[in-house]
Amino acid sequence: MISMSDAQQGLDKAIRVMKIKVALSEQEELDRELSVLLKWLEPMLTVDTAGTEQVLTSHDALNVVREDHARQGDLAELQEAAPDFAGGFYLVPPIIE
Amino acid sequence: MELRKISIRQAAEAVSCGDISAHQLIEETLKNCSVLNEGLNIFTHLAGIDALEQAKAVDRKIEKGERLPLAGLPVAVKDDICYGVLPTSFGSPAFKEFFSPYTATAVERLMDAGAIVIGKTNLDDMSLGSSTVTSPIGPTANPWDTERTAGSAGAAAVATGLCMLALESDSGGALRQGASHCGVIGLRPTTGRISRYGLNASSSSFGQIGITAISGENIISAMEVLSGFDSRDASTAICKEKPVGQDIVPETRELIIGYPAAAFDHLVPDLREVFEQARELYTELGFQFVDLELALLPEALQAYYVIALAESSSNHSRFDGVRFGAAEEAGDLEELYCESRGTILGREARRRSIFGTLLLSKGNYDLYYRQALKVWNLVRREFTDALTKCDLLMLPAVNKLPRLCSEEAGFPDHWSDDIFCAPVSLSGMPSLSLPAGQLGGLPVGMQLVGRPFSEEILAAACDRMVREIKLFPHGNS
Repeated sequence: MISMSDAQQGLDKAIRVMKIKVALSEQEELDRELSVLLKWLEPMLTVDTAGTEQVLTSHDALNVVREDHARQGDLAELQEAAPDFAGGFYLVPPIIE
Repeated sequence: MELRKISIRQAAEAVSCGDISAHQLIEETLKNCSVLNEGLNIFTHLAGIDALEQAKAVDRKIEKGERLPLAGLPVAVKDDICYGVLPTSFGSPAFKEFFSPYTATAVERLMDAGAIVIGKTNLDDMSLGSSTVTSPIGPTANPWDTERTAGSAGAAAVATGLCMLALESDSGGALRQGASHCGVIGLRPTTGRISRYGLNASSSSFGQIGITAISGENIISAMEVLSGFDSRDASTAICKEKPVGQDIVPETRELIIGYPAAAFDHLVPDLREVFEQARELYTELGFQFVDLELALLPEALQAYYVIALAESSSNHSRFDGVRFGAAEEAGDLEELYCESRGTILGREARRRSIFGTLLLSKGNYDLYYRQALKVWNLVRREFTDALTKCDLLMLPAVNKLPRLCSEEAGFPDHWSDDIFCAPVSLSGMPSLSLPAGQLGGLPVGMQLVGRPFSEEILAAACDRMVREIKLFPHGNS
């Protein structure tokens, strides 16, 4: 478990990284909540996961649509499909009007 | 037509045969919605004229001889699922005027089958919660006790007979807990069985579209239309097993139900007694029970939240507040982002974004995030192993009665409400919430959890349990 002083420094940094303006009173509340959160998570840290693979999906029945093969793209075809192309940049149509 | 008393098949047949037109049915439904919505606060938006136009289009198709399995039936859609005709607010004031440029596959499939979207249902801010208390329009009241929350507005819409189906999202258990609080049936399907295209999920790994209805039979009628591969969602599963169909009804008497007794120790005695009584009744019906252990439920809940927080921090990063929301006057771009995001993200979204970022940062990533991914694997194994010893698992859907509308949840108590649902979300297995009993005049729900793609078995078992026990002999409120 990380120390509270490290955690609080981390909290300040996370607020900056997430670019969220937080009032002083809320930051104080977040400080308190952080210590509660870390305590709350302690049992999970004690689970013996030695030799256990991490997973990223709920089950293995999901599709792999096709294998990922690298291939040479047709640059001219891509440029034709774009409204404009200059200096290595593509103009793309707006997605939302 | 009293929607709570007939099946989807009967209702669609009545519309198809001309006993009632889709237009008449929707007109009547919308009138009821206006009345009930005032007291219960179910809808963020009602479809009104658009729904009536859709109904006319369905009537024209029927006149031409088209067969529609959901002909003219009113459905409600949670407001974190995109539907191009009505605003999709995600429960955030920032998006109250946002019209999605596309419609979710699940909504499209319902409409193609003849269903009519009557409105978008209420939800917590950014869909982060299972009570609706943080909704910008206020909580949805429970039809059984209006001082308490419904948990999910879609469940309230089904319980009051305003719609035959509600499409809802479920990450940590909002759909299942709402169904429990309102005394209706809620299905979180096998992960990937219903397309998630058009669902604004804060947690990419666990957000899943599910169905709320009044019976297991109705759930399966909806699954026939909704399930299946979607080329716009690569995480949908191509189910190689038998297709969903009501003609596949297993002999539920033979089913063996796994009962993880220690899990019920997390409940207060009154609530635990409700489930013990339910177990006795199901035994009398012929269901067999085996005791087994799910040892990792609390740790699974913690792992769920580590992953969900991490994913929230990533998914909420796209909301910069420039195009949608509160683009404030600011000295520079950095200040504009901070001001806007501080405004458009509600308290829970801010909390999750910040804590999620912290848990993903150097030093914490291995300690918390990687550990959570490994615990996820262990939880998957635990559920898979348990379901080799039985056909279905029985778990509570809730750990308490619905909270009061005025009650503010303490941190992290509102996360602990997901103790029985979030672990099932990690397992990816289908889970159906159904009424198991009553406590203090309020319905209490339990989950039946099955093997992947076993939704028909869950629904058949559910209908037998609910029908035989006659939990609500006088109907819902």
